Amino acid sequence: MSYIVPIGPYHPSLEEPVHARLITDGEQISDAEVFIGYNHRGIEKLAQDMNFIQTLVLVERVCGICSHSHALCYALALESVGKVKVPKRGEYIRVIIAELERLHSHYLWLGIALHIIGHDSLFMHSWDDREAIMDILELLTGNRVNYGMVTYGGSRRDISLEQAQETLKMLDKIEESNKRLADFLLSDKTVALRTQGVGVLTTEDAIRIGAIGPHARASNVATDVRIDAPYSSYGDFDFKMCTWDSCDVFARVVVRVLENFESIKIIRQALDSLPKGAINKGNSIPTIKPGEYMFRHEAPRGQLSYKVVTNGTDKNERVSIHVPTFKNAPTIPTMLKGNSVADAGLIIASIDPCFSCMDR
Amino acid sequence: MQEQAYNKISITKEEIVPVAEKMRKDGVILAMIHGHIGKDGKPCISYEYQIGSGIESYTVEGEDVLPSIAGIYDLAAEWPERELNELINVTFEGLDTSKRLFMPDSMLDGQGQILVTPMDELIEKTHTKKEVAEQ
Repeated sequence: MSYIVPIGPYHPSLEEPVHARLITDGEQISDAEVFIGYNHRGIEKLAQDMNFIQTLVLVERVCGICSHSHALCYALALESVGKVKVPKRGEYIRVIIAELERLHSHYLWLGIALHIIGHDSLFMHSWDDREAIMDILELLTGNRVNYGMVTYGGSRRDISLEQAQETLKMLDKIEESNKRLADFLLSDKTVALRTQGVGVLTTEDAIRIGAIGPHARASNVATDVRIDAPYSSYGDFDFKMCTWDSCDVFARVVVRVLENFESIKIIRQALDSLPKGAINKGNSIPTIKPGEYMFRHEAPRGQLSYKVVTNGTDKNERVSIHVPTFKNAPTIPTMLKGNSVADAGLIIASIDPCFSCMDR
Repeated sequence: MQEQAYNKISITKEEIVPVAEKMRKDGVILAMIHGHIGKDGKPCISYEYQIGSGIESYTVEGEDVLPSIAGIYDLAAEWPERELNELINVTFEGLDTSKRLFMPDSMLDGQGQILVTPMDELIEKTHTKKEVAEQ
């Protein structure tokens, strides 16, 4: 017997509103559709009437989790149009915050995934570890979210020697807890039963639909903007791309846990070799010559891209924001097909969706 | 200076499909389709292909009706095309626009087109007359 099962817009296993319609054949999902647009706030429209510094503040509000990525990517696109060279210290500080943000985003997702599969004790542990990262972010920036660390031409706040030492100390603890988390996740029977073979996205499908970020890397697609097209001093650091070939939800868990180790490695290197000198080029409102540029940044969820068109004034002609979820959400119907209705919530969550980002 | 290169290449409407077919054959990723309104009030649509570590931007200027490349690049092109159709009212021939992507259902007849509609008109579209009077 065939039924249509609606999930959302509001559902306990979804962090944000999205609507999925599952066409089922008994317990099996035979087809699925996804509907978005419940969080549309018209941010691109608002950005057209603002100057560059105001827009930096605005785009940071697109997403609560990857706020630094948005500001960073917008600043990088603007600096590319204006041909501005950012001081090395400013670039390193941007990278440190971006990697801390990746850590906190991955821990947050791991917690949510574990909560959905019913492993609530590990969910608590994972979010407990995340608090330590939030403490570092608060120590360095003064805020738990919306850090305000990026300005046109550099970073807004410096990192002192004491802050760097304290951060390094806390990173040791985080690495220890991430090792414990990785051991649990890779050996736990509950996690394996609920994730292995669920929501498979083959390598061919991932490339065809255009999946990106950790979601694509879990389908064994080697793509990472930090390595493919290094920017903002990422070329200075030694880290590797994490891929996994089982293409299921388990692979997505493994890739994110392994990436945590790489992020910790990058932050350590950056803090150990933090260059001396200026962090930015002053705080005046810039005027940028007419031009356009598309810049890509590896946000926690995948490739984030900003296309900026300038017209010679201090305001934007057009800011076009495209987030990883915009590329990964079309893979949901393919992953859902052939799975049971009970796994639908987990599969939708497995792309690490951010629908607020996507709808803008 | 950043390391990600960006090259703009102007093409005509007729070249969109052959370029897309060639890129797809070569295994090039379509990074995004962007659009904005140019100085002459006409749309300016750019197809951004990810070549090596840089972006090649194939740009078509001054055309309201364009061929859809959703048949070539599947969902990687379909969603951006639907988005542009809703935001700046560019028609893509052969694209199914019967369902909305971002805009509320009430904006389907006018398609929303928030990027080309003045702000006060948008407020009227999204609020009842009473709410507008109260503001």
